Amino acid sequence: MELLRPSSLAELDGGVPIAGGTELVPLLRDGLVEAETLVDVREIVPRGISEGRIGAGTTLAELEVDPQVPHALREACASAASPQLRSMGTIGGNLLQATRCWYWRLKFPCYLHGGDRCHAREGTHREHAVFGNDRCASAHPSDPAAALLALGARVHTDRRDFPLDDLYRLPTDDDRGLTTLEPSELILELEVPQPQASTYLKAMDRRKWAFPLVGVAAARFEDGVRFGLAGVAPVPWTIADAEDLDSATPLPGTKYKLEIARALFRRALEAVT
Amino acid sequence: MARLIRTEKEVEGNYTEQWIVVEEDPLERWPAGALETVGKPVPREDGAERARGQATYTADLQLPGMLHAAVLRSPHARARVKRLDLSKVADTPGVRAVLGPDDLDVFTREPGYPGAPVAAAAADSYGQAARALDLAEVEWEVLDPLLDPDEAVREGSLHDEPERYERGDAEAGFAEADVVVEAEYRTQTVLHNSLETHQSVCEWNGDTLTVYISTQFIWGVRSEIAEKLGIPEDKVRVVCHYMGGGFGAKNHPGQYTFIGAEFAKRTGRPVRCALTRREENLASGNRHATIQRLKAGARADGTLTALQGEFVMAVGWEGFQSWTAGPMKMLYGCPNVSTVEYGAKINTSPNAAFRAPGFVEGTFGLECLLDEVAAKLEIDPLELRRRNHADVDLVDDRPFSSKNLIECYERAEPHWARRQEVRARSEGPWQRGVGMASQIWFGGGGPPSYAWVRVGSDGRATVITAMQDIGTGTRTAMAQIAAQELGLPIDRVQVALGDSARGPYAAISAGSSTVPSMGPAVRAAAHDAARQIIEIAAQRFHLEERVLSLQDGKVVSADDGSWEVEEVTGLLEDAQILGKGARGPNPTGMRVLTFGVQVAEIAVDVETGEIRVERVAAIHDVGRVINPLGASSQVEGGIIQGLGHTLSEERLLDPESGAVLTQTLDAYRMPTIADVPEIVTELVDIPDEHLTSLGAKGLGEPPIIPIAAAVANAIRDATGADVRSLPITREEMLRALAEAKEKARGAPAAV
Repeated sequence: MELLRPSSLAELDGGVPIAGGTELVPLLRDGLVEAETLVDVREIVPRGISEGRIGAGTTLAELEVDPQVPHALREACASAASPQLRSMGTIGGNLLQATRCWYWRLKFPCYLHGGDRCHAREGTHREHAVFGNDRCASAHPSDPAAALLALGARVHTDRRDFPLDDLYRLPTDDDRGLTTLEPSELILELEVPQPQASTYLKAMDRRKWAFPLVGVAAARFEDGVRFGLAGVAPVPWTIADAEDLDSATPLPGTKYKLEIARALFRRALEAVT
Repeated sequence: MARLIRTEKEVEGNYTEQWIVVEEDPLERWPAGALETVGKPVPREDGAERARGQATYTADLQLPGMLHAAVLRSPHARARVKRLDLSKVADTPGVRAVLGPDDLDVFTREPGYPGAPVAAAAADSYGQAARALDLAEVEWEVLDPLLDPDEAVREGSLHDEPERYERGDAEAGFAEADVVVEAEYRTQTVLHNSLETHQSVCEWNGDTLTVYISTQFIWGVRSEIAEKLGIPEDKVRVVCHYMGGGFGAKNHPGQYTFIGAEFAKRTGRPVRCALTRREENLASGNRHATIQRLKAGARADGTLTALQGEFVMAVGWEGFQSWTAGPMKMLYGCPNVSTVEYGAKINTSPNAAFRAPGFVEGTFGLECLLDEVAAKLEIDPLELRRRNHADVDLVDDRPFSSKNLIECYERAEPHWARRQEVRARSEGPWQRGVGMASQIWFGGGGPPSYAWVRVGSDGRATVITAMQDIGTGTRTAMAQIAAQELGLPIDRVQVALGDSARGPYAAISAGSSTVPSMGPAVRAAAHDAARQIIEIAAQRFHLEERVLSLQDGKVVSADDGSWEVEEVTGLLEDAQILGKGARGPNPTGMRVLTFGVQVAEIAVDVETGEIRVERVAAIHDVGRVINPLGASSQVEGGIIQGLGHTLSEERLLDPESGAVLTQTLDAYRMPTIADVPEIVTELVDIPDEHLTSLGAKGLGEPPIIPIAAAVANAIRDATGADVRSLPITREEMLRALAEAKEKARGAPAAV
């Protein structure tokens, strides 16, 4: 394995990008990602916060303390992982986190790995999805992604820019990927509108250092309140209102997540209005 | 003169008779309460060393030329190896040796659980060994696993005959009852997940095998290895100076040690065989899951008339049936008790002892059931327990050597009295409540155990015994006992332990037995040395021995004469004073047990199922307390580990294949410091006047026993919901709340 350290975008030529490494290193070690070449992108991906733009290389620890950052995102960052991980992990990498689904992590030949069925649907799935789960019931673990969805963030890559919503896709028979990024496309910046009020509420199995069972972000803008959900679908999930929760398709072991989502939704809405 | 006597020895409720040799007369008992050193809070002798990372654990050991072993484990819960070819493994660069089922009987061709060892490789680095094993060619015939313990009982897949116990007539007891309560409780499989994974380093020097190992029982490891290898015990040296946690899972050498020993023999090099965190979660033992179908009958005044329990234990492919029915048999003075325990043989990894095995599980069921009885009779739960106090041990009709459970209840009163105030603090979705549960367990230890004490001319003492300190603060407690007996300040006493070649036999550190087994031996050795110092002083100063004593580093006479100890020992120059001591017998015909009660205050968010444990008061009766500071650490550790069992930890399986899904610490959720409540520790600290010269019992296990039931009972107090299954996840909490709501809807309106 080789490690490249390009000093400009122009030098970038394939390879697997690595920044904080908190996500990629464990995936490499477990054989879930294979790479001949790692590209340390810390020199070429912007880091820092300025006037509604957040460099993709900014760490979660930097975001959680910066007063320019909307509350929902600060709270989402502060509730993620542990201080050590937040000091290393970047917001760009966080948006591209792989699921914690134990079947996927243990390399079961599941739908997400290209197989023909989702083992979690029939198996042990108490941490799994209640939306978008007919083919793959994995749950997306990113707290900040839910906050950024509610905030209506836009993603700027080295080739284009688009709403965060468009970064994600549900897996299909033809393509089991969960993002729309092209090979070696790099997230450089996030553009984050300033809401009138925002919050992020998270339910987990213990007080700290756990992925969300359910995370609900709400952000109020002049034209209304937007919501983003974590831990409820294979990708970060958006709903328009409480009624959308009625359209969920929980598995027998994930019904309780909906009850939590309803309570957190109500509380988040109250908090921002 | 040496006297040969027959005595009873108990470890975790297993009683065996054995011969011991007693040389000394029993020592005079120390007065109750804090003495000069014993009974005072003393910081850990090795605390700074551990905190600085200077203590050398087995995991830190690097020997010149050391190889690293990796183990090929079955990915299947039940399978047969049809073909196994390790030739590519052996040909991999860096690999020095491979072992398979034909070489060593720890490997199997018919694995019965995921993680069963099939083969191993030893290489220059762990990575080389592990990657080489990926090249092993294995053809599996995968078989359907049996995973459901109830199904195993139906099919008769059991480890032993069902264990039945009857006292009195349970049916008659239920007939006499004014209320009968029945409920099913479930507890999950949990893992020890010690900070230091199971491991050892084996090195042959000629015909002697040295085993550096993370262990709870140096001498047990020595015997088991000698027996397995067919060599004399003195040809096995076992070393464990520091240890990163065991909790019952490290009482034996383990397959990894036999693998390491064989590789070391074949290669002539030292070999480390260490489990990875994933292997630790797969195949290093666990607290097995239980299903408990319980029934209690009581009169209107709360007197229990009958208790009945069927206990199904998911032992695994191998292992032992822990004593889940124990609390039901022992905790209350109920005349009619009927229990049956089934040990299900299923395709899951073998269980191992885990901090009060069986009693943690059985106490959850029984103590929740008691609260359901209390609720039905509208009797205060604490009062109900008082009314059913067992004055003698009814299992074999013996008196207790000491029992201060009533005193524990008294001391619990002020904590219990907080419940009105706690409930009143309920606000919005957060409902608050208080619950309690009692604790019973063993913890008397027993012989044999030995210690030596060496006093040099500088007046410093070293306690020498080949025991282990498994992280509980044993070094410090032993130093305190020796310092007390020798009348020396604690900083002039050190403890040398951890090496079978450098000290006498010492007991296992399991079953809350280290202090009660080892403490009296250390005191006897120190007494022997103290006696010699006084004899020398009497001759030096022309006084009678009976007027001399040792206090605060001085030899003191009854007429106020006082000499520094060095004035006596200094005469010796290079000579030394050597004392030796042994653990005497346990009291004949008595039950030596520990008792306690815990009161938990909790808050439940009834909309999201979140549970916060806010305060736990722990009151335990373990006889004399040697080190109150160490004791409160033990209580805190037990409660925190118990809260993991209560709220968040669970080994999850794929129901189809039996694969372990929670192999890493992000999936297997232990409590973090943020989950720890305020913990108030109170120890009754009344010496057991029948047990040894110390009157001290063990405290390792008692604090983990009642916490789950105390929390579940507090949840009922706060919300009216019956949680009967561990862990109490949000899913379980919300289910129980919905059930309670349903029940309330169906119930007749309150008047």
